[in-house]
Amino acid sequence: MVLARVKGTVVATHKSPTMEGLKLLLLEKIDPVTLKGKGDFVVGIDSVGANAGEIVFYVTGSSARMTDTTKGKPSDATIIAIVDAIEKDGSLTYDKAAVTEESAQRAAQ
Amino acid sequence: MNMARVRGTVVATQRSDKVDGARFLLVEECDQSGAGRNEYLVALDLIGADRGQLVLLTQGSSCRWTFRTDDRPMDTLVVAIVDTIDERGVVTYAGQG
Repeated sequence: MVLARVKGTVVATHKSPTMEGLKLLLLEKIDPVTLKGKGDFVVGIDSVGANAGEIVFYVTGSSARMTDTTKGKPSDATIIAIVDAIEKDGSLTYDKAAVTEESAQRAAQ
Repeated sequence: MNMARVRGTVVATQRSDKVDGARFLLVEECDQSGAGRNEYLVALDLIGADRGQLVLLTQGSSCRWTFRTDDRPMDTLVVAIVDTIDERGVVTYAGQG
């Protein structure tokens, strides 16, 4: 599975009927240590209700068709989880709760 | 199968994989002597690998050929912990175990 940040949404009205009702998200692959984007983008189908700014990971290939959302659909990149925390060598490189709290404080100021 | 080093864990409570009792590991892809390549993946761990260990990854649809991942959206799985690697008769890696 590959770690990525949700950067936005992709809208497509003219598409295969099998693609109807699927939510397309623009994902940028990230480095799990610095959390910086690698400039490498992919469009993924959402199966967990991810929002812009969140860190997620996605599956590729035939495994992308194995969620309830994408069963029988022509997806080859599906988001399967929203990341709460990333730990490397014993310390947190990402903690969603702390990030959310920080942005709430900033908004309150 | 590719080799990778366990670097940490990834916590995700909102997930659609439907695999219980397993955890996600942050793994760094490695060369044949166990040196990291600074490329990271998230892998499902079914065998209980620890941080620092060199492990074998199965990727792609082959990941679904276990009882616990059958029909699940999984594409990176830790399937073994490496004890030793020898290259042309010389041991290039020996684990702690």
